[in-house]
Amino acid sequence: MTSTVVRARGLTKRYGAFTAVEAVDLTLEENRIYGLLGRNGAGKTTIMQLLTGQLFPNAGELEVFGREPAEHADVLRRMCYIAEAQRYPDDFKPSHVFRSAPWFFEHWDAAFAERLVEDFRLPVNRRIKKLSRGQLSAVGVIVGLASRAPLTFFDEPYLGLDAVARHIFYDRLLEDYAEHPRTVVLSTHLIDEVANLLEHVILIDQGRILFDRDAEELRGSATTIAGPRAAVEAFVADRPVIGREGLGGLASVTIDGRLDQAARVHAAELGLELAPVSLQQLIVHMTGTDLRADASEKEVAA
Amino acid sequence: MTAVIDQPFTRSEPRLRPAEIWRIVRLHAVNPTVFFGVPWIILGGAWAITMLISLIVSAGTGVSIVMGPGAGGAPEDIDGMRYSWAVLSPQWYLVVVGVQAIGLTFSFALGFGATRRDFWLGTSLMFVLVSIMYAAAIATLVQVEIATNGWGLGAHMFDALWYGQTNWFVDFYTTFALQLLVLFIGASVTTVYMRWRMRGMIVLMSTTAAIVIATVAVITWSNSWPAVFTWLGGLGIVGAFTVVLGFAALFGVLGYIVIRRATPR
Amino acid sequence: MQIAEQVENDIIEGVLREDEQIPSTNELAAFYRINPATALKGVNRLVDDGIVAKRRGIGMFVTPGARARLIERRRADFAAEYLRPLIIEAEKLGIDIDELAALLRAERIQS
Repeated sequence: MTSTVVRARGLTKRYGAFTAVEAVDLTLEENRIYGLLGRNGAGKTTIMQLLTGQLFPNAGELEVFGREPAEHADVLRRMCYIAEAQRYPDDFKPSHVFRSAPWFFEHWDAAFAERLVEDFRLPVNRRIKKLSRGQLSAVGVIVGLASRAPLTFFDEPYLGLDAVARHIFYDRLLEDYAEHPRTVVLSTHLIDEVANLLEHVILIDQGRILFDRDAEELRGSATTIAGPRAAVEAFVADRPVIGREGLGGLASVTIDGRLDQAARVHAAELGLELAPVSLQQLIVHMTGTDLRADASEKEVAA
Repeated sequence: MTAVIDQPFTRSEPRLRPAEIWRIVRLHAVNPTVFFGVPWIILGGAWAITMLISLIVSAGTGVSIVMGPGAGGAPEDIDGMRYSWAVLSPQWYLVVVGVQAIGLTFSFALGFGATRRDFWLGTSLMFVLVSIMYAAAIATLVQVEIATNGWGLGAHMFDALWYGQTNWFVDFYTTFALQLLVLFIGASVTTVYMRWRMRGMIVLMSTTAAIVIATVAVITWSNSWPAVFTWLGGLGIVGAFTVVLGFAALFGVLGYIVIRRATPR
Repeated sequence: MQIAEQVENDIIEGVLREDEQIPSTNELAAFYRINPATALKGVNRLVDDGIVAKRRGIGMFVTPGARARLIERRRADFAAEYLRPLIIEAEKLGIDIDELAALLRAERIQS
């Protein structure tokens, strides 16, 4: 049995004429790892700021732990959100952040935080202003992990982190999550690396939710078929096409849906090549409409 | 399977949350240089300059100190220094402290799960505590300066302006009121920015300017300046600073109202 | 379901013996850097297939006869998964079935 941590209906946030988040319906269940994915400026940060009571919605209903988050101490104390562009008090050092964190997070684990500081080789006595982008990300990651908040948000957690540091993050997150289950929301536009960490994927584009699906269901849910244009087109004729690319007489078409054994054999007989579509490719197909339109225009022009 | 548990949410948090307010005070104090370090460095610097000036002045005029029968006794009072503003030098910095408390620490505290209400109450408590400490220190330094005859040089840094005229308590009260006003002006003006951004600041600044100009105009046209000065003079030092304290409280209340819907940058 | 396949491979290759305990869901998740819920789904599929069984309070163990059943199932899929694509590709290149058999034999000697 799980319980619902977040429930949003028609959640909307406008800035003047610009709608950052439009009529979003969202449900987050307890103790799952969610991926909030989308391109830069899709509205990921705005959604997280609404969920953490930092922004006030213009319309819609929002319940976090059963009630509106903004200004409710009982809700806010169960959340941790360090923004990607988090502002820190003037002349703050990481050591100040870690010293004050236990006053705000009742489950704060100081020993775990210390271990993470060593893992990330974070200079705790350097001013935050002088930290590199990766070190700044490490501060947010350490707070997010060591706070053990029942609802933890990681906003683009690994901007600037090198490959080693990113893997430390994944390993520590999975280890600690296994021991202390909690609801985690990972927002990112770098998808392939985290795809396997996620249990559920919410894809957002231009302030709207494009899909909200189980990650396992998504993996391998799409297939790319490549080969001679006529053969490919015949093969995909009655299948849902989500992406189409072509070069001369060759075509590469991505369909939404799995192929059964018979279809695979049939494709092979037609001389078509099948390739699984990674989560990242799938998302590029679903959110990259503008890019593709540009590409086809160029083709026409050329 | 998933079951949505619709537990009726009972409000388990009290209206006044001392622990949540106190942790904001601690958050402001976790890096002590902001509220305690820099103001004292500025004040110390001003004191050092004052001492240097006093030395130069007394070297020029104070031949009698060394040669005369009064050598080693009380030096000449350096009268011009009564109008030195050195004692107020940290005030400008403290406006900035008020601004940054909201502009930077507010965003951070929200990320740590503080409510706006607790943040403002905690910040106000911090301002009060800092003002008390600062006022007590200044009032005491005034007495020290008087007792040591201007640090043995006839200097006036603390025993200047309205200070040192009556007693420790008046100096304490006036410093406290001024300090609080300065911090709350910085903080409450910044809440306007945090809530309405640049547009709010423009409206605030132009409205303030319009009110000031209108007030000056009305007083001038009605030939009321003498009456205004008489009223101000009649207030006395304590009365005038009670008005200052009243403004500090007003800014405190306005800031609270505005910050309740403010959003972090 | 990569996790299920990995465990199956370990059983077929004898890395995991019958009656031996398999790693816990969390250990599998940490090792393969995947979500524990995904790992759990993989393990549950193995349970449904009768490859592993739960012993209350201890963990998951490889069932007796699991290896034989896995090999049987893989053999059944072998033709469709590997041979048919091979034959289709061979036909495309004009390699007849005898030549293909000879190639296979030659390849085995090399490796």
